[in-house]
Amino acid sequence: MLKLKNYKVSEVLENINIDFEKGKKYIVMGSNGVGKSTLIHSIMGRPDLEVSGKLTLDGADLLDMPVDQRAKAGLFVAFQTPTAIPGLSNFQMMKQALDLKGSELGVKLAEYKDNAKALKLPDGWDKRNVNYDASGGEKKKSELIHLKMLDNKVAMLDEPDSGLDVDGIKSLITTLNNWHNEENTLIVVTHYEKLIEGINPDAVLVLKKDDVIVGDKTLADTIFSKGFDSV
Amino acid sequence: MYKQLFSYPFLSKQPSKETYYNLNELIDYITSDEYIAITEEHTDKNIYKELIQCYKANLLFLKEHGLPHSKQEQFNTFNLNKLYSLDILSSNEAKTSSIFDKLSYLATSDENLVTCIDGDVFTTESINKKSSAGLQILDYMKVGKQRHTEYTKLIEKTGNFSNLTFGSSIYPNVFIFPNGSKSKYANKPVKITYENSKDDPILESNTNIVDVQYGTHVKLVEKVKTTAGQMNYVTYIVREGSTLEIDRDTTDAGGWSVFDSRFICHPNSIIKINCSNTGSQYTQENFYFKCSSGVKLELNGRNNVRKGNEYYSFVRVRSADNDNTSNIDVKNIGNEHSKTSWIGRFEVSPTSTGFDGTMDNDNLMLSSTAKMNTRPILDIYTKEIQCTHGCTISNVDKNQLYYLQSKGFDKATATSMLVESFLC
Repeated sequence: MLKLKNYKVSEVLENINIDFEKGKKYIVMGSNGVGKSTLIHSIMGRPDLEVSGKLTLDGADLLDMPVDQRAKAGLFVAFQTPTAIPGLSNFQMMKQALDLKGSELGVKLAEYKDNAKALKLPDGWDKRNVNYDASGGEKKKSELIHLKMLDNKVAMLDEPDSGLDVDGIKSLITTLNNWHNEENTLIVVTHYEKLIEGINPDAVLVLKKDDVIVGDKTLADTIFSKGFDSV
Repeated sequence: MYKQLFSYPFLSKQPSKETYYNLNELIDYITSDEYIAITEEHTDKNIYKELIQCYKANLLFLKEHGLPHSKQEQFNTFNLNKLYSLDILSSNEAKTSSIFDKLSYLATSDENLVTCIDGDVFTTESINKKSSAGLQILDYMKVGKQRHTEYTKLIEKTGNFSNLTFGSSIYPNVFIFPNGSKSKYANKPVKITYENSKDDPILESNTNIVDVQYGTHVKLVEKVKTTAGQMNYVTYIVREGSTLEIDRDTTDAGGWSVFDSRFICHPNSIIKINCSNTGSQYTQENFYFKCSSGVKLELNGRNNVRKGNEYYSFVRVRSADNDNTSNIDVKNIGNEHSKTSWIGRFEVSPTSTGFDGTMDNDNLMLSSTAKMNTRPILDIYTKEIQCTHGCTISNVDKNQLYYLQSKGFDKATATSMLVESFLC
């Protein structure tokens, strides 16, 4: 589905070769500063990152596409620190993203509110400004609503557990497992053992500057017990 | 403007539409010895003796001081050279419609509508119905001598453009919202439109006085539409315990405008102003507040200055006595080749203890070709106050843009959403 070949990002990552397959769940691990977030955002097309090599989604070349076209092609990124936009309400953004009109608007608003309630976000969340005056955990939950409501093939979540409380982690695991199916691909950057257990990934990838080590869940167990230098 | 100037003999000398004419020439014209002599002639004859005397004193002041200049603090980031080089006879308006066509909507509407064109006031029938609690509009034909004297005293020599505006529109119109109207004009606001007619010459001026009397709540919805040059000078008197709300929208219609708003705020009055402006080939909007005690003032400006347009604004708050509150929040957006300038000034006197003021001016530059200036000035003579200011000029936030693009919005839509959110 999503393929990276001889992929290089600025001076951070090089010689990255990964084939993310449809219907699979992946955990991405790596030591601090190795470039996990950079990898995700380079795939999304963040303009300040210089990229070379090959990047394709279902055979279509992504490298020449601007960010919004990659999103429309099916890529989704949940930010580690979601950006605040004062003056833009959460549902207004969703309304514009889905181009909602007429009766569909009411249906989606109800769906948005149900999602917010299920994630234990405060009443009136739909009217609150995007990631503004919100706690770290609330911002992460808001990203999960986007994941559920926007139509994506590949979801990349950058440390979605940080800032979440115990109940929040449970909701996160439930949301990700409910979202995932045979037609899409889930990629989660995390070092949180319980989240990895909850997701039960098909593969664990350990990112190094110029290499990617691929293994199953036991690779994560090894790292938890012996550290990154052991692999 | 010349229909307002009573020096009839000069009408024959007014420039034709084919002639280039600017503000310097206008001021030369109305401060000439010949013109002032005719003013003196009228002083003897006219029943509005005090107004004519005031008018003459204003002309002499103009003659002495001339037009405002960029060495004055309030204008030194304004593009006055551009203003003075404008041809004040040029018009963007189609010459087919008559003033009656333009005002025909007044005949059928049951709203409280007022249109000001070159010193004349036109209203809907509902406003003309006389009642003790109704809005009284006193133009120079109706104003009584005693009231006339009272209101004439309010016209000051300021050194800004208001003197020139008054100089070219001698008879001020007075709008009185009497005590008995209570909240009548808050529930059903008065909509005032400032327009240009297509008469020759094109520059048009309005000098108005709005008197919101004791314990009254009034809302004005002001539309400023300039298809040619327009100068407005409005003095708002907000009496004790009264509330004045103004929603003002100034839209580029091909002309240019200077709008001086002066507020005399009596004790415990409340003033709330929301204004928006697109700029024009030259737009200047100035607010002068003189606050007594216990005044609550709120000014919100949301100005999206269009491509190539210019918008300049000056806000001065003079706090004379204790316990005044003042919140100024102005946001400007600069599109390609636009120019904006904002200068804000708090003047807090030694007797003005308990003053609580915030002054914010945020500017969003959408293009590297935009030029934006901001300058907060705090002139404070007492310690027992709270006062903050924050002025910023920034580009579109790249992180916000990327965040929205990652949700599927193209760059233009994301930028537009960020502009909208900035102006919220």
